[in-house]
Amino acid sequence: MIALIKGLLRGDAEEIARWLTEFDARRTAHCALLILGGCGIYGATIGIWRAPLQAASTAAKFPLLIFLTCAGNAFLNGMLAQLLGSRLSFRQTSFAILMSFATAAIVLGALSPITFFVILNAPPLGSSRAIMGHSVTLLMHVGLIAYAGVIGNRRLFRLLERMSGSRDTARRVLVSWLAGNLLLGAQLAWVLRPFIGSPQIPVQFFRDEPLRGNFYEAVWNALTHLIS
Amino acid sequence: MNPPPIPRTPGLHFEPMPEGSQPTSILEALLKHPGRVIYELHQNRSGALSFWLLALGLAGMALYGVVVGTLAGGAQLWIAPAKMALGTLLAMLICLPSLYIFSCLDGIEARIRTVTGMLFAAVCLTALLLIGFAPVGWIFSQSTDSVALMGALHLLFWLIGVGFGLRLLGAAGRFFGNVGCRHLKIWNLIFVLVCLQMTTALRPIIGHAETFLPREKKFFVAHWLDTLKGVGNTNR
Repeated sequence: MIALIKGLLRGDAEEIARWLTEFDARRTAHCALLILGGCGIYGATIGIWRAPLQAASTAAKFPLLIFLTCAGNAFLNGMLAQLLGSRLSFRQTSFAILMSFATAAIVLGALSPITFFVILNAPPLGSSRAIMGHSVTLLMHVGLIAYAGVIGNRRLFRLLERMSGSRDTARRVLVSWLAGNLLLGAQLAWVLRPFIGSPQIPVQFFRDEPLRGNFYEAVWNALTHLIS
Repeated sequence: MNPPPIPRTPGLHFEPMPEGSQPTSILEALLKHPGRVIYELHQNRSGALSFWLLALGLAGMALYGVVVGTLAGGAQLWIAPAKMALGTLLAMLICLPSLYIFSCLDGIEARIRTVTGMLFAAVCLTALLLIGFAPVGWIFSQSTDSVALMGALHLLFWLIGVGFGLRLLGAAGRFFGNVGCRHLKIWNLIFVLVCLQMTTALRPIIGHAETFLPREKKFFVAHWLDTLKGVGNTNR
């Protein structure tokens, strides 16, 4: 496991390419465990500001979001990889994407003591500075998740470049995967909400009628509301 | 397993410490020959050195805390040192996992024990420099009652000290094989922010206190602004 963690963080494309070609079920399971552990711990720090119950809920839902996104887009990503000339098989595509999420999960897991410390110091819900506390923690989570995501995707890009032998092919494949994962991931995040929780609404694992409505309609409505 | 060959980094000579892991030789090496400390941390026999670096670092912080406490006097003469040492230890514990991970991201080939020792060395050097500023801090503490002024001064001294400490960390990173240390620089910023928030979490360190720890949660920027407005002088 330690060798896997170091290898993922180092991002040595040659070594990781070897892992792709020499399939090892145990390595796949370890990547899944890293996502479960790293994202689970980080998810707990996302939800703890609202309530301990929200922390437990988000700890379960954050890894679930990633697994569902990987599984939901597995077939699509595999097809895109082959159509765009990356030379990756369906299994290799899924494992490569899983490894990039595992890399991000390791970074988030390592940052979770820091986010927990910040949450511990954030003005609580009922205080006069609760809005500032909420804004700071929200920006912090967005920034750190984006940072971890960039690290994971940079390593994925180097791997694609190594496997395909072409920078342009690697870029096309990565962009297509990102587009698909963002499209599905955003909607799954909407279905699985809440992650942070709202002070006005009781803590729930899912909102009522979780499949009703979607992320993009909500963004559109917010934009039109803002403009009008 | 043999350690990898020692690279040559301009300005630093990585060589064994001739006097071994004695406190005085460690302090001298940190100031004059930091490469020796990094070399010894890299070797398998780095346990005693790491212990002394941590102990000297925390002791140094506590010693400077006495100077910090002289502004308010009384119980702050022991509360401030306790909080400085405790806060430093907590900040290191909070940031250590991310330091190891960010080191790996930068391609630094070091074990977690070595990375831990590097962090202790950085904090020890920071504490050494703060002790160097102690007479200056004391003189100003006797000249004013302003918590805001003394807070800014202590903060400035600490930033200078931690700058040297983090520079040592960067040098260690180059020793272990990385040139840019991009992720390590981001970690440096995180560490500074955590330490700044820790001073607010454990406030007051400079002024008077009704309780050991504050009742109200604040971010450090809000606390500084309140202090500048004259609201945050006492524990709230």
